[in-house]
Amino acid sequence: MKKNLLLISILILFSLSPFLTSNNFLIRFLTDILIFSILASSWNIIGGYTGYASFGNVVFFGIGAYSTSILMSNTGLGFFVSMILGGIIAALFALLMGLPILRLKGHYFAIATLGVAEAIKALVQNLNITEGNSGIYLPPPEMSVDGIYTFFFYVTLIVLALLLFLTSIIFKNKFGYNLKAIRENEDSANSMGINTTIYKSAAFSLSGFFSGLAGGIYAFQQGFIKPEPVFNVLITIKMIVMSVFGGLGSLFGPLIGAFTIETISEFLSSYFLVAHTLFLGIVIILMILFAPKGMLDIFINIRKKGLSYFRKNIEEHRV
Amino acid sequence: MEKDPVILSAKGLTKKFGGLTAVNNISFELKRGEILGLIGPNGSGKTTLVNLLAGNLRSAGGEIYFNGISIKGLPPYRIGRIGVARTFQIVKPFPGMTVLENIAVGAMNGRSGKKRTIKKAFSIAEEVLEFTGLSNDSGSLAENLSVASRKKLEMAKTLAMDPEVIFFDEVMAGLNHKEIDRSTEIIQKIRERGISVLMIEHVMRAIRSITDRIFVLHHGNKIAEGTPEQVLNDSEVIKAYLGKRYEQLIK
Repeated sequence: MKKNLLLISILILFSLSPFLTSNNFLIRFLTDILIFSILASSWNIIGGYTGYASFGNVVFFGIGAYSTSILMSNTGLGFFVSMILGGIIAALFALLMGLPILRLKGHYFAIATLGVAEAIKALVQNLNITEGNSGIYLPPPEMSVDGIYTFFFYVTLIVLALLLFLTSIIFKNKFGYNLKAIRENEDSANSMGINTTIYKSAAFSLSGFFSGLAGGIYAFQQGFIKPEPVFNVLITIKMIVMSVFGGLGSLFGPLIGAFTIETISEFLSSYFLVAHTLFLGIVIILMILFAPKGMLDIFINIRKKGLSYFRKNIEEHRV
Repeated sequence: MEKDPVILSAKGLTKKFGGLTAVNNISFELKRGEILGLIGPNGSGKTTLVNLLAGNLRSAGGEIYFNGISIKGLPPYRIGRIGVARTFQIVKPFPGMTVLENIAVGAMNGRSGKKRTIKKAFSIAEEVLEFTGLSNDSGSLAENLSVASRKKLEMAKTLAMDPEVIFFDEVMAGLNHKEIDRSTEIIQKIRERGISVLMIEHVMRAIRSITDRIFVLHHGNKIAEGTPEQVLNDSEVIKAYLGKRYEQLIK
């Protein structure tokens, strides 16, 4: 109970941060973390819970960003409608892409998703409606400067809360158990009466929907998007690293991962302008060596086992 | 309407892997409430036959009927849903889930999954847990189970699916005598519930004590069929599978 109270007060304090500080840089930084939390948590649905390591989830982020931008600048629809439509378009795309690609497993699935993401980037770079490499401008939000920062903070927070709420419900129900069963042994799941294709596609779609929403928020926040940054494969890598770093297949793992990775990387880059990725790499390698199940697992086990937890991990994984 | 006494039948099933005919023109009938044994030397096509029946492999020729309906060519999940469950010779638990969750997944899906709420599925899983004697392992992860418990878990997962027919693919291999007796008892109780069983097994003790009929595969061909008495004394079966020592043993 004491632990829960602490957690709840941290969450309340966090969600009130726009009122506690007038430092817009900090609020923007927290918003970025929240966007990455959405991305990592959506990746976790397909990669962590279902066991299909997608290396192309950035494509949903990009499609969400572009759909929102095109809808807002061409049709004059409002931000929220465009963002939700962007999410739906990304989800539909995930469904279409998933039906053939989710038949592949392991490395083949990873490569195929990577391929699709790169192909869509090339397509966006060459289409008229996306204005190729010159990018798209979005109508700016009509708010005060401080208001804009607060607005994006809360929109992102609400989307993240919705995603976490939905995920927690799903994984207490048949849908979630069946996804886990598919991850643990797909043949057995199939023989037990689970239509694996439908379940996997639904999980992929859900992952796509929320990544698409994150893309929409990002586009409106930036005011201008180009293919290269929103379809950058590094965004996918970040989703994966954050999920693994925090704890794969757990509700709050990706969240913890997003917070720590972004904070560490921000801290390092303010001290080491050029070499900060080198140090970030070292942190990640140490993490994989000493706690391959992620930060959440450390929190759970360190109290019980103390430092021997790390020794055991190393022994178990034969480093 | 009188129920058809035959619940599952195969007619002329054939499967070739390249030049090798793994299953050659096999026909058999599984009667309602019966325990049918399937024996034969390693590589004789027993598991291939079960894979064909359960939809895990597409057969090249022949027909499969379940309750009078052709189920050939259906994907495994459809076959699982209409009431045919199977275990895997190389056990396939959900290693990272608890034993109870493993079984509950069966209860949520299978034949009656649609009618069951999540709560109901877990209460059925508890029952099955009790029935198969896995209660003590309820909360442990499937990956931490012993071989004997894993084999039992395979059986439990199929039972939770509320099937009419179960294929047991060597659920007693690697067990000690006491555990074999336990599993034999469980299979007998399963039959008492009205479930028809096709079991592949090398453990003669079990086969002889519980099967109603046996059929024997050798190089993909059916070489004998009949009561355990008849089949186990058949000279061709002894030559192909049981061996000279067995003949001396029964004499």
